[in-house]
Amino acid sequence: MTKSPNRMLATVFGVVYLLVGLLGFTVTGGVSFFDTSGGLLLGLFEVNVFHNVAHLLIGAALLIAGLSNVAAARAVNIGIGAAYLLLGIAGLFLIGTELNILAINAADNVLHFASAAVLLAVGLGADKKVRAVTA
Amino acid sequence: MSQIVRTWLGFTAIGAGLIHLALVISSPLPIAAVVLLLGLAEIAWGVVTFARDWVPAPRVASAVAIAPLLVWSLLLVVATTLDAASLAESLPLLPMAIASIFELFAAAVLATHLRRARNAGAADPAPTLPSPGRYLVGLMAGALLVGALTTPALAATDAGRYAQPHGSHDDGFVPAEDDGSGTLTGIRHPEHGDH
Repeated sequence: MTKSPNRMLATVFGVVYLLVGLLGFTVTGGVSFFDTSGGLLLGLFEVNVFHNVAHLLIGAALLIAGLSNVAAARAVNIGIGAAYLLLGIAGLFLIGTELNILAINAADNVLHFASAAVLLAVGLGADKKVRAVTA
Repeated sequence: MSQIVRTWLGFTAIGAGLIHLALVISSPLPIAAVVLLLGLAEIAWGVVTFARDWVPAPRVASAVAIAPLLVWSLLLVVATTLDAASLAESLPLLPMAIASIFELFAAAVLATHLRRARNAGAADPAPTLPSPGRYLVGLMAGALLVGALTTPALAATDAGRYAQPHGSHDDGFVPAEDDGSGTLTGIRHPEHGDH
């Protein structure tokens, strides 16, 4: 794991997202599953229960891939990075509408874009030789 | 070129590309066409730089990195000399200055890369591989710095001014009637406390 940037990133991000998912439940008491406005995590990032569950699933996927092998870590980093990029863009239009079932706010969008940039850059840019061997 | 520097190149190219694209709507047609093509080319080049083991077309890229700075400077000189501020006013200072910082960085890195390649007698020296920890820290530092510079640059463009602040949609934002000049003037913006 310490030799592959993809595995290291997937593991670290996996742990962070699992913690974020768990911490989210401390601010979503009384918030319903798809509520368009939720609690503020760290006083900044708005989350509802669905958002917490998404964080837990993403964290679990990243952690499992990071602990498994380089090919899995790369695939999951690129996949989740692309999903975050799409969610970041969609989030810009979802804020303030009834379709905002993840209770996204502007700080969430910034974090989603940042996650997308790092996950995609590492997924696309690192461990290329491994892909050539395993492909 | 180390992998870390290559990711910085990719980030700066995409950052400069986004800024140039954001300048399209405020520019008259000839300048808009140039910044549109430039922005698209920069973003495409940045993505390929991330996705490949080598830097794509380093000679062309270094020329393209410097060209906007030269053209912008020339435009400012001509606008000042002819006392025609309208020539350069579609390219605001802050976004262009930040895009120029990215371009100068890219040009400097590419020049060093080309010189090393020439001295080594090879077209593209083998990339050095940093430790994963260093790579990740370097990559995140680059992403953070480019993001921190690109965001205010985008906010200072007309595209950024059109964006709804804080995601609020109210009646306080009314774009001005188009006077047919091709530039966006007289836009009324909501104050921070309005929403």
